[in-house]
Amino acid sequence: MSYGNHKTCAALVLVLFLAANVVQAKGDDFNSVVKMIEQFYGVKHVGIPFLAKAGMGVARTAARIKGGEAKRIAEAGSIKLAVFEDQDFNGEFTKFRSTLNGALNQTWSPLVQTLSATDGEQVYIYLREAGDKFNVLVITIAQRDATVVQVNLSPKNLALLMKDPEGTGKAITEEATIIDQE
Amino acid sequence: MKTLCQTKLALPLIALVLIAASAVATSAQDSRLQLSSLDHLAAKASQTVDVNIDEKLIRIALKVFSDQDPEEREVKKVVAGIKGIYVKTFEFESDGQYTAADMETIRTQLRGPGWTRLVNVRSKKEGSLEVYLLMNGETVGGLAVLGSDVRELVVVNIVGPVDLEKLVKLEGQFGIPELDLEPAKSKTKNEQ
Repeated sequence: MSYGNHKTCAALVLVLFLAANVVQAKGDDFNSVVKMIEQFYGVKHVGIPFLAKAGMGVARTAARIKGGEAKRIAEAGSIKLAVFEDQDFNGEFTKFRSTLNGALNQTWSPLVQTLSATDGEQVYIYLREAGDKFNVLVITIAQRDATVVQVNLSPKNLALLMKDPEGTGKAITEEATIIDQE
Repeated sequence: MKTLCQTKLALPLIALVLIAASAVATSAQDSRLQLSSLDHLAAKASQTVDVNIDEKLIRIALKVFSDQDPEEREVKKVVAGIKGIYVKTFEFESDGQYTAADMETIRTQLRGPGWTRLVNVRSKKEGSLEVYLLMNGETVGGLAVLGSDVRELVVVNIVGPVDLEKLVKLEGQFGIPELDLEPAKSKTKNEQ
């Protein structure tokens, strides 16, 4: 095979790979939720291009940041994160909740939802089975900031989440944000 | 020999009887309360917590809770057979944010067939606590707790075979608040 043929073949593989990723992204609830927040509140999230590379190195970093003793909740490499910073999240949150539940209830189970009318805070925790792992989606919206985090949890850590949904949900978001800051 | 009329009518009739019987059976077993009538309170509450553990999540809990951990083993025992745990709590910063009519939307459902009020404690200082059991014949089909004080409203609904003892063991798990049911039991007035 000539150099030109190799080049064409490589380009074809790249196009197929990208097309597959686009299809996957289109069917991805994480991206749908991010878009839903953007449309409902008229905000834009900050891109996190390196999170896909999150792996054992990042896990070690997160542990180091927390003094080396931190127990990771999310499985390494599984974190998807979208951050919305310094924007207005004013709007009827009961309406937002209905829209969100309507969009996710087919494939996700809404474990816990916490709302505060006085602080303008909303926390939604959804989960679903993914083979022998579990996907957890944590959506946190405050008056000026928001985060959407999706992680895989081992059965052991899912047990933690089910025993203490609010505490563990918060820890998942904090963990993802620490990794992002690194 | 059966007539045409007998054979043609018999099938729809049997189908109707079966449908009616299953409808009766479903309503007798269904202890899931409709709590959405309280959703509007979220717009006034300083804190609203909504816990939804349906049958799928109960199955997952049974799968992921460890038999090696004594606490998780105990919870597994308690939730085995339960079909759902639903909790709504509202906390308010001032008095009078919810009305008797809001409570009534839940109580109306608890006056339905099979429901029995086991506990009814009312105190001006500590608010009120009502515990209801749904009996399907000899078996318990579900439980409901309605707790309120001037700035707080709590509804817990457990679908499936459960009793007060089990509920006490579930307090603090799955987002179920501490209902302080053990002291309440000593103050129980059985009004039914």
